[in-house]
Amino acid sequence: MKNITISSLLTLCIGLCALFLASSCEKDIPTQADYSDYVFSKPDENGGSWKPILLTGPEQIAVPAPEDVSSNGYQEELAALKAAASGLTGDQMQAVGYWSNNPILRWSEIALELVAKYNLIPGPNSDGSYTLPDPANPGNIPNFPFAHPPYAVRALAYLSVAQFDGLITAWHYKYQYNRPAPGQVDPSIPVAYVDNGLPSYPSDGAVIAAASRDILSAMFPLEKEYLAAKAEEQMASLQWAGTNVDSDIAAGVHIGEEVAKAALARAANDGMKRAQCPKPVSDSLKAAAFARFGWQWDNLEAPPRPVGLTPLFGQVKMWNVPTVEEVRPPVPPAPGSAEYEENVRELKHFADNMTDEWRAIANFWQDGIGTYTPPGHWNRFAKEHAIKYRLNPLRTARVFAYLNMAMMDGGISCWDAKYYYHYPRPINTIPGFKTIAGTPNFPSYTSGHSVFSAAGAEVLTYVFPEEGSKFRDWALEAAISRVYGGIHWRFDAEVGTAQGIQVAEYTLEAARADGAD
Amino acid sequence: MKNIYSFVSLLAIYLAFPGANQAQTPTDDLFMNQRESCIALIYENSWFDEYWEGASLRANGSISTVKRHTAIPMIAIGLFDQLNLIVAAPYVQTASTEPNGGKFIGAEGFQDLSLFLKGSVLNRQAGPGEVALLATAGFSTPMTNYLADYMPYSIGLGANEFNLRGILQYKLDNGVYARATLAYLFRGQAKAERDYYYNNGSYYSHWMDVPSAWNFQAVAGAWLLADILKVEASYTGLKATSGDDIRAYAAPQPTNKISLGQAGILAQCYLKKPKGLGGLAYFSQTLHGRNMGKASIFGAGLTYQFRI
Repeated sequence: MKNITISSLLTLCIGLCALFLASSCEKDIPTQADYSDYVFSKPDENGGSWKPILLTGPEQIAVPAPEDVSSNGYQEELAALKAAASGLTGDQMQAVGYWSNNPILRWSEIALELVAKYNLIPGPNSDGSYTLPDPANPGNIPNFPFAHPPYAVRALAYLSVAQFDGLITAWHYKYQYNRPAPGQVDPSIPVAYVDNGLPSYPSDGAVIAAASRDILSAMFPLEKEYLAAKAEEQMASLQWAGTNVDSDIAAGVHIGEEVAKAALARAANDGMKRAQCPKPVSDSLKAAAFARFGWQWDNLEAPPRPVGLTPLFGQVKMWNVPTVEEVRPPVPPAPGSAEYEENVRELKHFADNMTDEWRAIANFWQDGIGTYTPPGHWNRFAKEHAIKYRLNPLRTARVFAYLNMAMMDGGISCWDAKYYYHYPRPINTIPGFKTIAGTPNFPSYTSGHSVFSAAGAEVLTYVFPEEGSKFRDWALEAAISRVYGGIHWRFDAEVGTAQGIQVAEYTLEAARADGAD
Repeated sequence: MKNIYSFVSLLAIYLAFPGANQAQTPTDDLFMNQRESCIALIYENSWFDEYWEGASLRANGSISTVKRHTAIPMIAIGLFDQLNLIVAAPYVQTASTEPNGGKFIGAEGFQDLSLFLKGSVLNRQAGPGEVALLATAGFSTPMTNYLADYMPYSIGLGANEFNLRGILQYKLDNGVYARATLAYLFRGQAKAERDYYYNNGSYYSHWMDVPSAWNFQAVAGAWLLADILKVEASYTGLKATSGDDIRAYAAPQPTNKISLGQAGILAQCYLKKPKGLGGLAYFSQTLHGRNMGKASIFGAGLTYQFRI
């Protein structure tokens, strides 16, 4: 009897093990896009003639003519490259595969990861006060920056504008000087990436490495060493891949550093420094809204935060919209009005009858604290479609640049409305209302998710027209997700969507005129 | 007597963060004979107003005090004299007390269906008492599509778990006993409704790895009043083998590396009349932890044993 029992136990144990393994099916969880170097859909030989965003033209950054490939200097570089590209270690081969021939995509992932890492809202001190991150002392607690959506979209905009202008400059000199790729000069050099026929001087990869490193180091100062190591590895991989000789890389680094300086000079004076204004200024905005409209938003956290998130982000310099007032949405329905009451009923209906579908939509688009934010989500979509459509680095940078300018302008316009109207959140005016999403620390009208997403979808529809209906559906879903989440009124979402579309049109006008179409 | 009326006490350790739901761990030495069965219904109430963010204990006005009510129906069946099957299906409800700064709605629903097999490996007289060695193998899986990625309100971890446990007990003939258990909990993945999250780096997926964990317990107890009453004191530990910390003022997530130490007391009685009826009550206090609520837990329940 005892033997039977023990053998039954063993059998059942083994059975349970098998059941567990079968049912859990542990999935390998991806930490980055799965792609490798690819043939570009087109090389955009005339890319050097496109209109840059910040530079007056590519020749604003002077790049001297390279030595001829027959010169001793070049031949020495070529020999060094051949040595560097031969006998790669496993780590070197891995780096070559990781960075690929479109490292913009990897820098996008690095930027989003830093946003997620730094997107932590400062908590209260033990005395109930709140300490703000200090850009002068980024290592203080809380660390600088708090990479909330306005901060994130701005960082992404400067990153991609610098990359775009840098690559326009690189393309200009590439096709002016037409230095052949090392593998064409010496076919015995092992070249890791498919040949897309790009002239190699200056190195587009080095432009991307230097510009990305410098912009992101300014935006995330505590990551300076990490970013320098990333850039160094990316530049080294250009040699391990047999793609660029030293002088190609040096010229690219020069462009990248210069274009980053131009971008950071704009950033230093775009008004972001004043966006997180002191309490008296914040209180005066609230009082002005109350005097004008008879309502106001208040932070309900415990302990209450004295100032909302970046009240003056609406005054930050826009990229493509002349004045923020011209895109300001109309006055929202007053609390107590019929439309307002209908919105209250709808929010209660969603809360009381929450379905799996609504909940999943609310959570999918939430992109809250600790994530890459809604602008980051749209950068991810851009990356995935740049891979799908095999864009070259220049065209990839163009997608990101217009996407992030449109979303940043959208965010600025949204924040202008938020603090001009200072409209209360559902938890402010519906007694006892509870939500499945976290209510953010800023006024309700209009919805940031809706504006960011609509602006992002418009730009992505412009560059990937075949996918347009999908992007626009996503933007609408992102907008309504905030109503399902219980933290926005339907009119926040609907007006926000219209606002995003309207603001993006200014950026699209610039895009259509830049010579790339 | 205790051979007949013994019931596998399923000491549920439902903690404030569902991370530690060591639900229904059959950690004692007791057995039912073949064709005996026992049903139980336990109500458990836990609450915490402080939690460990990584290793540092803090309060959070956004969530105030988080309360958790759990009803645990379960059944134990003697498949053979030395092999028992235990099944449990907890229903959990969570909420913050008012007022709180977050205004989050709580969650409720059936959590995980758990199945355990408990077998006797060794049972013999040694000196002035009896030494017993037992083993359990358990499996649990979510019964509903509750969202694990809604902490601290989520009702469970949302992952399948397979666990193996060894139990060693020495019981003096006068009823005083000491027991040690050690278990390893193999945990699978939870599905979130977002497809990006940060876990010391970017993850582009709905799937979150829920860290596996060690679980151990040391117990000292005694049978009293002619084996009508059992009382015991315990220390329970849980330690995840991987995972990340809760980030500053951010919500926990299923990937967190949780650990805790808990002291508990339990009393269980087996009535002679009406025959088969029993009751139990327990209290535990979390003493230390990591990425967990500093929870107090009270539970009470009724048991009824019968022959099939």
